[in-house]
Amino acid sequence: MREVNENVSAGADQRATGEAIERGGVGLTVSDLLAKVTGSAPPAESAPATQDADELAAAIAAVAGRYVPAGHLSPDADFFDAGGTSVSAVELVSALQDELGVSLDLDEVFADARPVALAKGQPHLRATATAVPEVAGPVETRPTVVAARPDSAPSAAVPERADPVATWTTPQSAVATWTTPPPAVATWTTPPPAVATLTDSAPSTAAPERADPLAARPTRRPAVQTGPRSAAPSTALPETAAPVAPRPVPAPAAAVRPHNPPSAPTARPEDLTQILADLALADRLPFTASPDPVPPRRVLLTGATGFLGSHMLLDLLRHSDAHVHCLVRAADEEAATARLGEALKKYGLPWSSEVRRRVTMLPGDIRRPRLGLSDDLWNTLAHELDSIVGVAAAVDFLRGYQSLRTSNVLGALTLAELAATGRPKPLHHISSIAVFNEVGILSMGEDDPLAHIDRLVAGYDQTKWAAEVALRRARDHGLVVTALRPGGIGGHTRTGAYNAQDLSSGLISAFGRFRTVPAFRYLNAAPVDWVSRVAVAVVCEPDAWGFDYNLTGVPNTLDDVVGDMAFGGMHVRVHDWDEWRVDALARLAADPIPELAFLSRVLQSPTALKLCEATLKGPAATADRTTALVEALGLPPATRYDARAQLKTFERLAGDGLARLPQKDDQPYLWFSENTEGSVSPVAAGPGGTNPGGAISDEAISDEAISDGPIPDGASPDGASPGAATPGTPCPMSMSLTLSIASMHQLVTERRVDVRGEVICPALHPEPLTVARGDIWIRPEEGIPHRHGLRHQLLRCRLELTDPEGGRWWLEGHKYARARRDIWRQTRALTVRLGREGEPARLAGEVVVPADSYVRDQIDGIKVDPRLTSQEKRAAKLTWLAWFGLEMGRGLLGPFARAAADLLDLRRPQTPTEHHR
Amino acid sequence: MIFRTTNPRTARPALRKVRTTTTLRPLRHRLDPARVEEIPFRTSDGVRLGLTRVDPGDRAPAHDRPAVLLLHGHTASADMFLLPETRNLVDALLDEGHEPWLLDWRGSCRLPYNETGGRYTYDDVALYDIPEAVAHIRTRIGDRSLFVVAHCIGSLTLSLSMTAGLVPGLAGVVSQGVFLTPKLAGRTSLRMTLAGELLKSRIDHIPVDFRKVGLRSKYTPLFALASRKATCPDPTCQILHNSAWGTGASLFVHEHLTDATHDRLADLLGPAPLWILPHLRRIELARTVVRWHDTDHRYRALPQNALDAAARIDTPVLLLAGSENGLWLDSQRLCRDVLARRQPQLDVTYTEIPGYGHLDTFLGRGAALDVFGHILDFLEERR
Repeated sequence: MREVNENVSAGADQRATGEAIERGGVGLTVSDLLAKVTGSAPPAESAPATQDADELAAAIAAVAGRYVPAGHLSPDADFFDAGGTSVSAVELVSALQDELGVSLDLDEVFADARPVALAKGQPHLRATATAVPEVAGPVETRPTVVAARPDSAPSAAVPERADPVATWTTPQSAVATWTTPPPAVATWTTPPPAVATLTDSAPSTAAPERADPLAARPTRRPAVQTGPRSAAPSTALPETAAPVAPRPVPAPAAAVRPHNPPSAPTARPEDLTQILADLALADRLPFTASPDPVPPRRVLLTGATGFLGSHMLLDLLRHSDAHVHCLVRAADEEAATARLGEALKKYGLPWSSEVRRRVTMLPGDIRRPRLGLSDDLWNTLAHELDSIVGVAAAVDFLRGYQSLRTSNVLGALTLAELAATGRPKPLHHISSIAVFNEVGILSMGEDDPLAHIDRLVAGYDQTKWAAEVALRRARDHGLVVTALRPGGIGGHTRTGAYNAQDLSSGLISAFGRFRTVPAFRYLNAAPVDWVSRVAVAVVCEPDAWGFDYNLTGVPNTLDDVVGDMAFGGMHVRVHDWDEWRVDALARLAADPIPELAFLSRVLQSPTALKLCEATLKGPAATADRTTALVEALGLPPATRYDARAQLKTFERLAGDGLARLPQKDDQPYLWFSENTEGSVSPVAAGPGGTNPGGAISDEAISDEAISDGPIPDGASPDGASPGAATPGTPCPMSMSLTLSIASMHQLVTERRVDVRGEVICPALHPEPLTVARGDIWIRPEEGIPHRHGLRHQLLRCRLELTDPEGGRWWLEGHKYARARRDIWRQTRALTVRLGREGEPARLAGEVVVPADSYVRDQIDGIKVDPRLTSQEKRAAKLTWLAWFGLEMGRGLLGPFARAAADLLDLRRPQTPTEHHR
Repeated sequence: MIFRTTNPRTARPALRKVRTTTTLRPLRHRLDPARVEEIPFRTSDGVRLGLTRVDPGDRAPAHDRPAVLLLHGHTASADMFLLPETRNLVDALLDEGHEPWLLDWRGSCRLPYNETGGRYTYDDVALYDIPEAVAHIRTRIGDRSLFVVAHCIGSLTLSLSMTAGLVPGLAGVVSQGVFLTPKLAGRTSLRMTLAGELLKSRIDHIPVDFRKVGLRSKYTPLFALASRKATCPDPTCQILHNSAWGTGASLFVHEHLTDATHDRLADLLGPAPLWILPHLRRIELARTVVRWHDTDHRYRALPQNALDAAARIDTPVLLLAGSENGLWLDSQRLCRDVLARRQPQLDVTYTEIPGYGHLDTFLGRGAALDVFGHILDFLEERR
């Protein structure tokens, strides 16, 4: 769902103009604040330092501009919003180091990727760098900052925090009024005091600011955990400062930090500040009446080019009569149409005139005031639409709150503003189960309390939390808001379309590749088709509006997943999460897979790891209201997202290079040997001649020509081909082959078995011929006879052979089922033809598996991958025998069934008398 | 016992014995009646069929207006392309400037033959109905291109006509559900055979409308069997969706039908004759379309085995199938594979509609979005 933006830096100018527009005379509206908050606020004080920072910000922006699609980036625009990718962020960091001498940690870039924010960190680093000149890398630099902080908080450090303070100016007074008596309300306002401290103290004492985010990770945890309980901080300032102060010794801090980077269980205070400021924006929404309880006719859908959004677009069209307006980021309508079409096709969804006639494009941007629409269009929409569905969100587990909030929080508030303006409309907001994504949360029910915001670390989790909480506040303005919270959204059960950016795609691929899974409790995931269908049902059902729904389906337990993968022939071993992570990272480093690069970045990012950990260790989400709704509306009930449902997705993942299906060269899953003996005789060129490569139409061996009954060894299958008018002397031939399968998946989808081994045929070559490539297809083409008749195909064998001189030969063999009593022989006799590559058949004949070796080799002699446990081996062997036996049985039955039907048809047609007519 | 139940007192008057001519049930549509032209059409073996032309008006210039012949499935009728309650295929074709022609071949439920035992086999359809309708249309459209969109048995018999060379020069064929290689589930095949053999001396067709046969009838056990494990209480829906005329297959994905279509199922699909089963069984067991009449030389124009004669196909073919087709399973994919191997020169493409069953590819409320786009794109490319 993460979208690439083309013109954010251009949008910055429009924000400034947007800021100038006064609307309604009732103070600031959401869009005004949006404009203010998104970075165009004037820098506060301390001119020289600010100037310095501004210059640096401009320099950083100039460098960063090279890595975004637009080619330039304004200092207050977010690098990722402008289209920068995780890969280009890595490049940017090294470029900044090389060209500007600016040392940045990659995590800092992800946390807040505006050049102004990046520049703010720099004077500090420089100052400390002079103090401690030896330290080069950012990792070593940080402890010194921590150490330096308590005493080295001079005025020079102050302005760095100016920006959040500035953005706070408007809401601050409101906040301040209720945070001024902190001791009284300390039990529940612990985060606000911290905030208040920051804002109040910034100009005067200015102690924490730049060092704070760094210090926050190791130090703030005790503060927050003890905070609510101790409940009587005289002021918040000593409270936050205290844990830092007793630890001025640089060495231990330096020793601890690099080894324990993910131990940051709390949010950064400036993020909390920002979150509270954003929540306050909801208070500016207009009051509104209730919408008419009728199914929608005109729907605004955002995020239609994303994974869930595109599926919801089609479901909206299918299951309602609505016309859908799609807000798509593009320069004009034509580009928007092209972009939507591309997205739908990418996800295997139809894109035709029938779809286009019910969709209207709105080129715009969720991150801009009034969605980047003209005032006329905005007003028209406000009065015409009767439903708003907000799916658009920036989904990136690496980026921080500052970087994601414009899309995920302010965008949601803009939609709320549109919903509350003009005709009352319900707003259906796609939230996420991430709002519960706190390590150690006890339950995730639809009406359970959300996570503690100060314990959400990943920016994505924070933005989804903030958006949902802000919209809860909007409910108090009369707005009907539905929060739909999907968990993991798995690939489509029918098309296999998946979300390449989604973590679960990467994890599933890694599970299959490495054959290991981390120990998790539950995976709250549901396939996209079900999530989309239920979400659309909520949108179309007025009685369902205004509630919270968990669209998490039936959670998968660890045992379920392990069992599923074993069912698919992929026996996995369970590892501890940390062990798994280290192991997976090592494997990804040793054998880099470009398609999985994002996974290794996630596994290395401390914040994203927290998110993973919370996800994997979280409880099962419950969804009582959703279940009741699904039942009431007669929708398909949620089922576990099991192996069968994931199959298509897995195939598609494998096709795109993320996952990997077992292949021919791997250690086979199961194998056994097959020895055949028989004879061949020369084929005269002529009608029996064949082109070896292709069509079967040359299959000249007619039904009747095949001799009946067992052929004595060494005897010629007489008249094997009409072409063999003058058969030469029959020549013995034998094959000793090894048949193997790489996975059961190969059997079920391709019905194919791999063949290796050698063929001894003195008539072709005195030495044995080696099988260069060989395949056997069981019951090819459903057994449809080559020619009209009762001779059904039972098995087809195609071998490419090489002789010791390098000559290349082909062998084509078939087993046939016929309505005759020699069934046992039909299963063993292979009619073969051989020839030189590119030439017609030279020899034809029949080879048979000797009856005594059949059971010995092909049932008792089955070998299974030694890495499996003995239980798994037995299961594998039985599965193969059952599958093969059933297929052969069906194949053999075919001709008999036809013969029997012919007998039945001999009866005289009866003429029933139906009296009532 | 119940099989022998006959009650002459409740028997309805045998209307067909009074009438001397066959009348077609009127079409149900929401088109302008002036634009729907019913053509009296009788095949050379004397069977009255229905042929309907829908005038596209001035949506496309008359000279550049490809004709599209729509062939329904057995026991369905041209109504299946004209559903008034949803966006139907005729609407979509008209909007794209095509001229739809609808043939009610002798298996249509608008005609009485299925029910009253005017016996026929699929050979008759392939030899008379389709080629003669095509010839008739050609006399009207001149040298404009003619496409065929065919469903189920309509498509299966069309494949027999095509491989016999009786409908040369089509601009393209869209086949839904099944084409040259019919494949039924083993269970369906077995039940079809068993039920056919057990019932054929007692009844000659399986009705779908419970209201027309009543509770006290010899068909009641069939409806009772069809209701096993059914989720929908409607007996018509049960015998179609849950049982496909007693064979145990499923004809459509229940959720895809609108309520209006669901309530009209008995109009859209009629009774299935049992006497067609031997031919159907022969075709299904051979996994290819085969001729029934081996000794009747009137049918010698038809190939003994359509797949062997597939080289005669002279037009691009689009094979469509729902991924959840409960009746013909993955016959279309099989057909694509077999033709790609045996007749690689043919222009055959296969498109799977994810999540769709058999009938809902035309009757479903989302069919316009999910299915018709593929058809229209195919027609547009070869216009």
